[in-house]
Amino acid sequence: MKLKDTFLTPIFKSNPITVLVLGVCSALAVTVTLKGALVMALSVTVVTGLGNWVLSLLRKGIPNRVRIIVQLVVVAMLVILVDQVLKSMEATFPVAKQLSVYIGLIITNCIVMGRIEAFALGNKPFPSLVDGLANGLGYGLILIIVAFFRELLGSGTLFGYQVMPAGYITNNLVILPPFALILIGCIIWVHRALDKELQEK
Amino acid sequence: MNTNGNLYTIVYTAIIVVVVAGLLAAAAVFLKPSQQANIKAETISQMLQAAQFETDGLNNAQKLDKYAEEIDHAFTIDAKGAKIKDLGVSRDNIELVDGLKAQNYAIAGKSGFVLELPVYVFKNGVSIIPCYGAGLWGPVWGYIAIEADGTTIKGTYFDHDSETAGLGARIKDDPAFRGQFVGKKIAWSSKPQFEIIKGGAPEGQENAIDAISGATITSEGLDKAINTWLQAYEPYFSSIIKAEEE
Repeated sequence: MKLKDTFLTPIFKSNPITVLVLGVCSALAVTVTLKGALVMALSVTVVTGLGNWVLSLLRKGIPNRVRIIVQLVVVAMLVILVDQVLKSMEATFPVAKQLSVYIGLIITNCIVMGRIEAFALGNKPFPSLVDGLANGLGYGLILIIVAFFRELLGSGTLFGYQVMPAGYITNNLVILPPFALILIGCIIWVHRALDKELQEK
Repeated sequence: MNTNGNLYTIVYTAIIVVVVAGLLAAAAVFLKPSQQANIKAETISQMLQAAQFETDGLNNAQKLDKYAEEIDHAFTIDAKGAKIKDLGVSRDNIELVDGLKAQNYAIAGKSGFVLELPVYVFKNGVSIIPCYGAGLWGPVWGYIAIEADGTTIKGTYFDHDSETAGLGARIKDDPAFRGQFVGKKIAWSSKPQFEIIKGGAPEGQENAIDAISGATITSEGLDKAINTWLQAYEPYFSSIIKAEEE
């Protein structure tokens, strides 16, 4: 597969959320505000990218019987590092606090382990890095779209700035996770309507 | 080389684990000072906001500057309200009582925890006291600013670890919820001393506010946290009020 395809396929054609339906839980949890979604998207991108890269470098030496454990150890390390770095920077500290457990829960995000198993263990380091980053970005793209609508309708703000006219009554349903599920459903619908290949006969 | 042998597997996993542990330990040591600086600046900013000072747009250093400028003195008290020791308030030596959780245990009388409750007094006479308790998903805590008279609430600031965004998280995010506290009175001699009531405070009751709809457990948890800590501070503030009356 060409590098360009490796990069573009996970973002559109086989988007982790809308096509593979992976990582949906966290997409429901962190999309209340755009800022949270953005930090989460970047964190996941870093973890999937570096996780894929490191395990692709190690792929020839990993004993097959403990493969999953080795993957888990590396991914867990990356997630803890991301969490620690977010908490140590003045700019990201408030967002890291707001996301609280969800940063740590990146480790349970199926996209991370899924891409390592499916791609990194069978490919060279650089394409693996690209694949990991692209999957993170594909995930992030959906997160941002969902968060845009949820913050706009649920809080009347975007990135914390008031955009809805004064007197707008915020919608509590939008803030609750079910609405994220409805939104993701709508995105999948649009995605399938645009891409005929995704439609089942 | 046989990568499936027992010895290889054991040595390989051992090396991976040691390397990962080393990296994480190094990161923790290296990042700890900046994390603690963030936490300290945040705590100070929360106390300033409780006392109705503006901290929007200030960076960490400016928050500390502002605190050093406005604070008069700070100290810790014991269960009887007697002073234990002073806390540093100069810009280079700002001392705070960390570990509200440990103090919460001490208030509950758990063995092994020494009660040392902080009081931070600003130049305008406002005293700040903390509170800590359990919300729905995790701890909730906050700071209550009390005017020089010892009963009127100047303002509050609450924070939480993992309350539901948009519901329980409103104890922090909703200025209207916080705003309700302003001007209310703490009824030191009654029990509970302060109430968060579903449906709002009855007319004429000065020590109560409205709970958050959709966040019953968080509201109740906060109510309990506030009352537990007010109870612990009661001897100190009663003596202040008494001194003022005489």
